[in-house]
Amino acid sequence: MSGPRVLVIIPAHDEQDSLPRTLEELAAAAPGLDRLVVDDGSRDGTARVAREHGVPVLCHPFNLGVGAALQTGFRWAVARGYDVGVQLDADGQHDPASLAAVLEPVRAGRCDVSIGSRYVRRSGYRTPLARRAGMLLFSGLVSATLGTRITDTTSGFRAYARRVMEVCQHDFPWDFPDAPLLIRLGRLGFRLEEVPVEMRERRAGRSFYTLGKSLYYPYKNLLASLMALLQRPAQP
Amino acid sequence: MVFLSRTQVIVAVGAVLLALYVLDLVRRRRLSEDFSLLWVLSTATVAVLGFSTPLLVWVSRLLGIRYENSTVFAFGLAFSLAMLLHLSVRLSRLGQENRTLARELALLRHELEELRAGREPDGAAGTERR
Repeated sequence: MSGPRVLVIIPAHDEQDSLPRTLEELAAAAPGLDRLVVDDGSRDGTARVAREHGVPVLCHPFNLGVGAALQTGFRWAVARGYDVGVQLDADGQHDPASLAAVLEPVRAGRCDVSIGSRYVRRSGYRTPLARRAGMLLFSGLVSATLGTRITDTTSGFRAYARRVMEVCQHDFPWDFPDAPLLIRLGRLGFRLEEVPVEMRERRAGRSFYTLGKSLYYPYKNLLASLMALLQRPAQP
Repeated sequence: MVFLSRTQVIVAVGAVLLALYVLDLVRRRRLSEDFSLLWVLSTATVAVLGFSTPLLVWVSRLLGIRYENSTVFAFGLAFSLAMLLHLSVRLSRLGQENRTLARELALLRHELEELRAGREPDGAAGTERR
């Protein structure tokens, strides 16, 4: 296959039950794309499942957070000469059939980061009220500061151009790579774009976003967003 | 001339004992020298203020504190806060270094597996910037 080299990065934490179907759907929807599973300190057979599917696995010795898993994937992608990295959740929320749509703007060079968003168009996804309020807040914050409309700051269905991965492999939020990251990338001069996708309910496993974190999340992201606005972005 | 109050003596003696214990920890290599600096400074300050009444009175007047014992406690508290903040900063850095090492380990382990399997790795590890 000619054109840009694409790597699908799949961060996974205790996802042995949902990972096989995700990998099979991915192989069916996007055959020929290189894949990488980053096992973020799973205690189940996540790494074994990935190896059985012939997918390279990087294993964190303990749980570091979804951002750190992605960062490990970026390091791999940059070192091995990939042009685009696509982040895909292992839990089945992201439909590999939409991968081409998320990938396209970056592959075509129209933007540096494309975000598969569940809010651009009405999709079947429903969210609790408190979470929707928070999302509205962060979406407004990011959109206002970047001048680009971003409705879904928490979406983990994204494509990153190589120059973005080069920057992010050294400095990336280890816990929640959401609003503050988007603000920082925007201020670094990267172009962000949103793409409508369908999102599904998770098939198995637990979310990275647990109850305890849901209290800390708004605080941390508000503070980090503010800091991202105050920091002078270092030019890559 | 103000006499040493009982609390003053207790706090000062306590500070001296703590300073000796900190130094002993350094001697036994249980505490690194850089960490001991703030401890030694704080205990020494509190001890000096505790034992030297004229100095304590002078400092208290300077800061507008009417009750001299409060000055000793205020210094102790200020140093405690400084130490806590210092520790938080160190912990944050340690956490970051720890995560970097863990990610590096994951990359290296995979390269080792590739080498063992007789494949040539494309090289991913070893370029981490700190």
